[in-house]
Amino acid sequence: MVAIIKRVKEYGSNVLISSQEFREYVEKQETEINRGISSLCILSIIKQSEEKELHGYKILKDLTNQTNEMLVIEEGTLYPILRKLEEEKIIKSRREETGRKKKFYSMTEYGERVFNHLAGFYSKLTEAIAPLFDVKVNLKQDKYLYCPMCANKIDLTNLELKFCTICGFNIEQELISRGLR
Amino acid sequence: MSKNEMERLVKEFLKDVKIKLPDWLKDKKEYKEILAELEDHVWSKAEELSNTGQPTLETVQVAIEQMGTPENIAKEYKRRGTPKVYITKELWPLYIKVLTILFLVIIAVNIIIPIINVIFDNISADEIVESIATGLQAGLFGSFAVVTIIFVALSMQGYFPEDFKSKKSLKDEAKQVELAKERGLAYQTKDGKPLKPFIKPVGEIIGGIVVISIGLFLFIQPIPGLNELIDPEFLLLVRFGSLFIITEGFLDMTRGLIGNRQVSTHQIIHIITIIVKLTSISIAVLMMMRPEIFPIIIYSESSDVFQNIGIKPEFYNTFRAIAALVITGIALSTIENFYNIYKLQKYRI
Repeated sequence: MVAIIKRVKEYGSNVLISSQEFREYVEKQETEINRGISSLCILSIIKQSEEKELHGYKILKDLTNQTNEMLVIEEGTLYPILRKLEEEKIIKSRREETGRKKKFYSMTEYGERVFNHLAGFYSKLTEAIAPLFDVKVNLKQDKYLYCPMCANKIDLTNLELKFCTICGFNIEQELISRGLR
Repeated sequence: MSKNEMERLVKEFLKDVKIKLPDWLKDKKEYKEILAELEDHVWSKAEELSNTGQPTLETVQVAIEQMGTPENIAKEYKRRGTPKVYITKELWPLYIKVLTILFLVIIAVNIIIPIINVIFDNISADEIVESIATGLQAGLFGSFAVVTIIFVALSMQGYFPEDFKSKKSLKDEAKQVELAKERGLAYQTKDGKPLKPFIKPVGEIIGGIVVISIGLFLFIQPIPGLNELIDPEFLLLVRFGSLFIITEGFLDMTRGLIGNRQVSTHQIIHIITIIVKLTSISIAVLMMMRPEIFPIIIYSESSDVFQNIGIKPEFYNTFRAIAALVITGIALSTIENFYNIYKLQKYRI
């Protein structure tokens, strides 16, 4: 994970950023914050892709572009993360038979469930902590329902769904109150 | 020339990454795939950075630079377990198991050696206590330090317990789980252990320790005043009998330590237990034959001392009958072991 501070230039000799201690501390904190969300963002990139399967280089490119270069991963460190996710059965891979034999990654069914829950949790968390930073976060409530029990992100296009797929909570009442049933 | 130089740079980078990768990963031969993927990434990036779509020496250099240092790449592979007091959660059960076995061996050795010394060298009680205390202190502390350092190092390298198993044994385990599922046996999906354990390891270990303690008490016969009252032949028979008791205790404890796996080993231990139990009957028979040496200690108020009044001859037959019942009990207790061997057969999959 590359901290933003690493890319920041010093625009003066007496600026705080010229302090080694400050740089190191901020870099450590930024890296810690990035580390927690990088796997989730990688999964999101794989899930959102139209191809439904992506090779490492494309994942990285999409991640950098879609996060406006805020979340930058040291390119070589992407692969250990992908390997870990594959080991945890969140994603699976397929190797090309010809050419450079690129490895393509896609999400497993189990991975999608895990992702929906984590994405829901992260969305609700972001919404909850936003006021602390004087920011406003608007969750797309018209598109998704966040399970009141476990924060699982439920796509409202699936109108047949009655229970949360993670905790089994009956979401019908919630849907009725929104006029969706 | 330029192409060769580009390839040399990439190979050098990959070589550096390979050196830094953790050993458990290199052992898996999976690293070849990892390096191939990194190489593909470098070339893709170098091609994209180039205006012509063909990599140049400069774009290859930039691409390698953006990959991150080999140390950082390798560090991510090592970041594998869940941290728990310097030793990862994944390695923790193995760490505890290794420490427990080692501690038990050290305790056993430190108890057995003084016992041998008592038998052959006639050393004093103070010397025995000192020897046990010193041995235990050095042994337990030393082994704890060494094992802990090893496990911390393994945790830092990102080792998991399965990395110590061969590919074949991992495959066999997976196959066993599949077979177990087919046969309707409940298995944990994570490690393949049966959901309904066939023994309670903690119970077996505690039981084993209690039995060993009783056996040791009977072997050491630590109350000299009492020993003086008892026939030496009886004391000798008790000492022999205690060896069987200690052995049984160790066998129970071993089964507890093995836990709910290695079904064959459990069956073998049950067979050994049956042999030990049946052999111990010889001691009971010898005692049954000599009712005159069996002690009955009473306290005499008139002389204020303990006395061994023994068994009155008219009760010898009663004594023999009781001894016969005890022998029958020992023989019948083997039924449990036979039953366990039979029961364990279901777990052999």
